[in-house]
Amino acid sequence: MLMHSDSIINEYVSLAKSMKGDAKAEKDTVHIVVPKETLVNTASKLFNEYNCDFRTCVGVDERPLNGYFSVTYIFTDNKNGLYILVKTYTEPQNPVIPSIVKTVPGADWCEMETRDLLGIEFADRDQYRLVLPSGWPEEIHPLRKDIPYNYRPPIRSVSEKITPSTELGVIPIGPYHPALHEPEYFELYVEGERVVDVKYRGFHVHRGIEKLAETRMTYQQVNFLAERICGICGFEHSTCYALAVEKAAKIDVPERAQYIRSIVLEVERIHSHLLWLGVAFHVVGYDTGFMHMWRVREKIMYLAELLTGSRKTYGLNLVGGVRKDINEEKKQKTLETLKETEKDFKKLVEVAISVPQVKKRLTGTGILPREDAVKLSVEGPVARASGVNKDARRDQPYAAYKYASFKIPVYTEGDNLARALVRVDEVLESISIIEQLLDRIPRGPIKLEDFEIPEGKTGVQVVEAPRGGDIHFVITGHGKPYRWRVRAPTYSNIPALKIMLKDQPLADAPLTIASIDPCFSCTDRVLVVRENSKTEWLKLAPGVQI
Amino acid sequence: MSIVKKAIKPVEVLVIAGKTKRVTVKYPYQEPILSPEFRGSIEINPEKCIGCGACVNACPPNALEMIESQDKKTLRYYVGRCIFCWRCIDVCPVGAIKGTRNFELATNDPLDLYTYIVHSKAECSSCGNKVETVKMRKYIMQKSPITENYVNKCPDCRKKSFINAISTRKVGFHGE
Repeated sequence: MLMHSDSIINEYVSLAKSMKGDAKAEKDTVHIVVPKETLVNTASKLFNEYNCDFRTCVGVDERPLNGYFSVTYIFTDNKNGLYILVKTYTEPQNPVIPSIVKTVPGADWCEMETRDLLGIEFADRDQYRLVLPSGWPEEIHPLRKDIPYNYRPPIRSVSEKITPSTELGVIPIGPYHPALHEPEYFELYVEGERVVDVKYRGFHVHRGIEKLAETRMTYQQVNFLAERICGICGFEHSTCYALAVEKAAKIDVPERAQYIRSIVLEVERIHSHLLWLGVAFHVVGYDTGFMHMWRVREKIMYLAELLTGSRKTYGLNLVGGVRKDINEEKKQKTLETLKETEKDFKKLVEVAISVPQVKKRLTGTGILPREDAVKLSVEGPVARASGVNKDARRDQPYAAYKYASFKIPVYTEGDNLARALVRVDEVLESISIIEQLLDRIPRGPIKLEDFEIPEGKTGVQVVEAPRGGDIHFVITGHGKPYRWRVRAPTYSNIPALKIMLKDQPLADAPLTIASIDPCFSCTDRVLVVRENSKTEWLKLAPGVQI
Repeated sequence: MSIVKKAIKPVEVLVIAGKTKRVTVKYPYQEPILSPEFRGSIEINPEKCIGCGACVNACPPNALEMIESQDKKTLRYYVGRCIFCWRCIDVCPVGAIKGTRNFELATNDPLDLYTYIVHSKAECSSCGNKVETVKMRKYIMQKSPITENYVNKCPDCRKKSFINAISTRKVGFHGE
């Protein structure tokens, strides 16, 4: 799978040539540069004919380097394990790029994010303010290189109200709500008990960490910042960042370090899925199951602390390797814990799923059909529960996953039960992956001491987090990243909620929202506002200018 | 599975609960459950610290800061910002920082959250400017005695004397 055959790469090169562009391949990444006139055509060919998976797009202020702005669309060819980056440049005065949203609907958010943060306009689509708060001055784009990281513009605060509706009932959930764990805001439009439409708005915890990393941190410090993007799958973020930098700088990390990364990633997946199953039981009112699931999880948390030094935010990754080794004693303890957990977990899940109320509430609710899952490029268990067979651990093998054999559970029902069962199966697979890797782990050093990171190189990495593919895009700079872009998996999954919630009873809404295992703060590392593009009356409150 | 068995399956959770018994501990009256690898707050040994600032450069959240004044260099550790990553321990050249298992850091007095280590700076032998600490100068001399001739000077004077030395030579950089 790692052998990238020349014929496939040549196909992409000739595609770029036919689009009046150019392409060059570097390991598993094909860099395509096209003029903006042919961008839409290229994207549509990749998405529809080559069946590439759209991941995200990144705007970069390259004016200090070459005088232009650029936008890079990130696709992955999952069949051949290739990353396809389509880049186009635009002039710095009045930067405009044609939008690909009409052919690739999944690009909606990232284009609007680029517009807000870099001031690049996207032609031929509806424009709205997605990322910045409503009172933020129009002309200031924080990710441009001439804006200092600590600049605070004068903001006139605008209060937002619930959208009034005469025909339908409006039920606001959030921004702070006992059923949700993080600040986000849903407006559910109901006819009686039935949800007919949904509006999402989540922007409350924007922290501008990309700017922070680009201005005042060093390569090694960003690992620890990346880890703090998410309180549950932080290690995925720091691994993803480290792998992206290592790919850009062409650093060969010692095998043992890659094994340790994979092992800890799987430990994190187990704890995350156990946490989710607990929360799901809690949401349907089965608190006994919730308590017991978290009791089982506690052993995994102890294991994580033993392997890394901390229950969460492990602080294990560095560019070039890891900081803590796994000795024989820890290995035995890990195997022991996993054995106990497997036994406990199997018994508990069997009992919990047999509870009639739990089963009924999960079955047939929050259905996401396969076509929509493909169209919106959803990620992780949400995609796999809707029959989309994708998993970066197999498709773009990173760290040490190529040395383990594992099944990828795929269900076709697309309902909440399917999403739960995908996670149940994945816990068992993860346990088996850790056992295999611990068995095969090679001896040797765990980190590189001396290496250089050249400037101006690009690295993209997908890491399969418990919630789906997590993407980090890095352009290297002098002592720190020149550009760092993070796309958490929930960023792709939230738009699918609209489809899942539609025509469902209101009582199932909290469960369905929870079923994507949303990680709002990760998504909101930038601010996000979801506006309905179809229905006119779903506008933000009067007084908010968009 | 028979219908009866299926119907009573959910009740099996009682068996699980009975077997597991209590899993929590009565903290703070009992010892908390900590693994041997747990990372808590750090302790800086003022005797060993030489004020080089390596930890300040490595610290991701800026919990360690170097405060410069005319003739003092002060290393400040603010535990309120600390993320307990122990990167400072990795990079300290003299092993002055020790990790502890202490996580009970709540206090009534915010000043308890700060630790200060004050270093006096050494004077440059030619211009009198003060740049590095006395202890750091000593450390450098111990590590590489060959530096004796110029270690007493500040970086600026060192640069100047180097350039002077080169320009007075008959063959400079490009001389053949």
